[in-house]
Amino acid sequence: MSQPDEESGLRIEGRRARDARRHSHEAMHTVFEVYALHPDARYAAQAAEAALALTQRLERDLSRFIANSDISRINRLEAGEATRVSLETLECLVIARHMFEVTDGAFDISIGTGLSSIELDEDALVVRATQPGVRLDLGGIGKGYAVDLMADVLEEWGLRVALVHGGFSSVLALDGPVDGEGWPLTLSDPAAPARVLARLSACQTSIGASGLVKGDHIVDPRTGEPVRGRRAAWVAAPRPATRGQAAADGAPRLAVTAVTDALTTACMVMSVDEITALCARSPGLEAWVLEDHGQDGAGEAGLRHFGGMHSDGPVALQTGDA
Amino acid sequence: MAGEDGKDKVAPRTTEGQRKLDRRDVLMGLSTVPALGLFGYAWRKQNQVKQAAARAAVAPREAAAAGDVREVNVALLGAGAQGQVLTEAMQRIPGLRFRAVCDIWTEYNQRRVVNTLKRYGHEVNGYVDYREMLDKEPAIEAVVIATPDFWHAEHAIACMKAGKHVYCEKEMSNTLEGARNMVLAARETGKLLQIGHQRRSNPRYIHCHDKLLKEANLLGRIVTVNGQWNRAVAADLGAPDRYAIPQATLTQFGFKDMHQFRNWRWYKGLGGGPIVDLGSHQIDIYSWFLGSNPTHVTASGGLLYHDPKTHEWYDTVMVIYDYMTPAGPAKAYYQTQTTNGSQGYFETFMGDQGTLLISESELNNPGSIYRDPNAPAWDAWIQKGYIGAPVIPEAKDEEEGASGAIADVRESAAPDRHKVPVALTDPYHQPHLQNFFDAVRGKARLNCPAEVGYESAVAVLKVNEAIESNTRLAFRPEDFKVGGEA
Amino acid sequence: MMAETRASHWAMVGITVMRVLVGWHFLYEGLAKLTADSWSAAGFMKQSRGPFAGFFRWLASDPTMLAYSDTITMWGLSIVGACLILGLFTRLASLGGIGFLMLFYLCNPPFIGYFYTIPSEGSYLIVNKNLVELAALVVIFATGSGTFAGIDRIVHGLWVRKPRLARA
Ligand SMILES: NC(=O)c1ccc[n+]([C@@H]2O[C@H](COP(=O)([O-])OP(=O)(O)OC[C@H]3O[C@@H](n4cnc5c(N)ncnc54)[C@H](O)[C@@H]3O)[C@@H](O)[C@H]2O)c1
Repeated sequence: MSQPDEESGLRIEGRRARDARRHSHEAMHTVFEVYALHPDARYAAQAAEAALALTQRLERDLSRFIANSDISRINRLEAGEATRVSLETLECLVIARHMFEVTDGAFDISIGTGLSSIELDEDALVVRATQPGVRLDLGGIGKGYAVDLMADVLEEWGLRVALVHGGFSSVLALDGPVDGEGWPLTLSDPAAPARVLARLSACQTSIGASGLVKGDHIVDPRTGEPVRGRRAAWVAAPRPATRGQAAADGAPRLAVTAVTDALTTACMVMSVDEITALCARSPGLEAWVLEDHGQDGAGEAGLRHFGGMHSDGPVALQTGDA
Repeated sequence: MAGEDGKDKVAPRTTEGQRKLDRRDVLMGLSTVPALGLFGYAWRKQNQVKQAAARAAVAPREAAAAGDVREVNVALLGAGAQGQVLTEAMQRIPGLRFRAVCDIWTEYNQRRVVNTLKRYGHEVNGYVDYREMLDKEPAIEAVVIATPDFWHAEHAIACMKAGKHVYCEKEMSNTLEGARNMVLAARETGKLLQIGHQRRSNPRYIHCHDKLLKEANLLGRIVTVNGQWNRAVAADLGAPDRYAIPQATLTQFGFKDMHQFRNWRWYKGLGGGPIVDLGSHQIDIYSWFLGSNPTHVTASGGLLYHDPKTHEWYDTVMVIYDYMTPAGPAKAYYQTQTTNGSQGYFETFMGDQGTLLISESELNNPGSIYRDPNAPAWDAWIQKGYIGAPVIPEAKDEEEGASGAIADVRESAAPDRHKVPVALTDPYHQPHLQNFFDAVRGKARLNCPAEVGYESAVAVLKVNEAIESNTRLAFRPEDFKVGGEA
Repeated sequence: MMAETRASHWAMVGITVMRVLVGWHFLYEGLAKLTADSWSAAGFMKQSRGPFAGFFRWLASDPTMLAYSDTITMWGLSIVGACLILGLFTRLASLGGIGFLMLFYLCNPPFIGYFYTIPSEGSYLIVNKNLVELAALVVIFATGSGTFAGIDRIVHGLWVRKPRLARA
């Protein structure tokens, strides 16, 4: 799945946001960052470090490039073979499978090799293959999932004013830097980052982004054909109210950034009607698609907006060319 | 180019089209067909050799006879970062039944591991005091210990005396005395004591030691060794405020405060600093691969960067060991520093025939062997699958995975880097734990028993001593042995 | 029908040997790519230099075109190779081979001042082995070596009823 996240077209803007202390770490072929505001800088740094340490652990389970990861072991399974996986891997697979269904196959971690031939035994944490040759790639969901878990860690440490992101393609905003206001974010054309298309104020909101740089392409897993006419897609969804210490008690996590991460990939390949229907079905979901009317990013581009007519969605301050 | 003035100098040829084919035409016509047959033959042979090499390279999977594994009751003592990694790895080993988890940080680490284990279907009880656990859980047969180094001796010895087999994380102990007592306890009780130098069970390291060095002697005479573990600066570990441990508990278990509890590695009397924490893994490999223990150590180190108020041990250490190997003298360099992560961690063994570069990581430097231009050819070892075919350096901007993306109709000359074709396909600590539980079931011998862990501890703990005294220190062969008396 | 330049008998034998060798090389290059796990010309084309670099990079960046070029290269090399060995449709095969080599040459020409990251086993200035092999194919094309020793000779005998140009 081609997802150059350097050009997600999503940015933080404003001075208030820049005052927040930033901590970063490289994993999963991207840079994860934690922006946090806390009176005790040392404490915030330790919390950020604890959150960032998670990315490395998750990468060891989820990366298909690491020979002894859970995903690599799944990818090597012959028909009838099974392997035990970590809680996190299983949870990620469960979300991914759900997203496959919700998007009618437009988001497919098996890139068309047959997600259905992978059976998940959620009680025993076992993954079984009914057919050989399935190849999973969690590139389109793993980062978002990591961001969700990192946010849980920050909350565990009592850091509420924070923003976590992985390469700006998976962003989760907790409470904003100023009372009652969210984190100021911009959506812009990945081909011309200076061109701001929309401004958002995000608070307890997750935003996923997919953008293409010139010459790159994204393949529709349903047809195997490269998709044209889309330059970028963004999906936002409200973060469900936190359940305090629920995460530590092993209750299922509502990993909203994993979801928006998956949906942006899907929005790059789904038809306008499909996206409209998806947003109608999912209260709070909001999506933007930057359409490419010309050839190769040269021509006109138009921003389409879907959903978000619900009170608890993120507040789009402005839409249109700024 | 088709020169019309060219005369047909070829011996009698058809001059009129209507003529039937003669025998000569047919013979000449088919004369190059055998070349295609020859090609087919060569192609098949070539593929057979390649397949044989690939087959040989696939490490024989230890057939875990799922049917007849006896269930082993297990407890975890120390549920911190490493305890959690070991717990995860153990979920992939068949036939383990977790019974108890002991950790003094009840609200955080203990609760987390208990919950994880419940999710995996284990009914476990949590304990703060390991003695209570040993009293109340008689069914436990094996204890996996991942507490801070200064607790290892007490914990391991008590467990063995209570009749349990023990898997104890490295460093075996922060003192030689502790390590020695652990060896003696293992002997006395007859219980198994595996020390957590997990590279000893890593299939790649075993392959390099057994096949490449011992059997094929690909490096020739090893004269120098180089290795490092460099880490970038990182914030000290902390803890969420709301999960702070009461001071009374901290004091009871030997910690001054929460900061020391989280960063025990840096404190004298608790840990041994980076050289012990990181170096011990790799210095253990030096001795294993060289087939002997060092004779001398020279070291320099200091606290050059970190805050001395919260860091007692050296953040930077450079060591040179002298070895008298069965093949002759050798010197080994090792460095660890915690201010710059350049090149990460690896070990390099240099012989007169070649160089082996290896690390535990499956991502960086997982294993390469370089042939010295003067060494005999290695084709036979490639065919046996011991090493990979020479690696052709890839073009810079190539996509990963697209191997040999060279459309040129020429084959390129072979530079002589070969991959070590054995990868760890299980989680990092699983093979070492598997070896331990196989031994518990009487099906294997420990890969790192107490005596081996002790030898490694002697070599490593001496470094801090050498830095302090600022002199070259000698080892006597008997230093590495534990006699009958403590 | 095209006139053929004929060399002496032994020269023709030599050219035939050369044809079989070049064909062998093409066939192996083609089959090796066909049987490789995931061969693609993308890497080779992406680092193209020289006057046609833009074209090759475009080929490599467009997934549809890349898939075509990969297929054509793999099968083309194999078929050209087999034909050259057998002396079947020798002229057509030589032309095809010349085309391929021309593309390879132009994609990464060893022009003055170019440095490549793809390793090469020799040193080249303007002339490289692609060009030499290309010249060999020109000779093979010109002499129609398949009608001397190759299936073309049988094909000619069977189907080509028209009288050849009269020879002295
Ligand atoms: N083999 C390896 O690669 C590797 C890697 C990391 C750590 N280790 C080793 O594992 C051990 C633990 O390291 P860590 O990084 O997990 O440290 P940690 O500080 O994260 O965890 C230690 C845990 O032990 C608990 N504890 C401390 N004293 C205790 C006591 N008396 N009784 C019960 N529980 C107690 C603490 O509450 C904590 O949860 C060390 O010996 C370390 O050297 C090995």
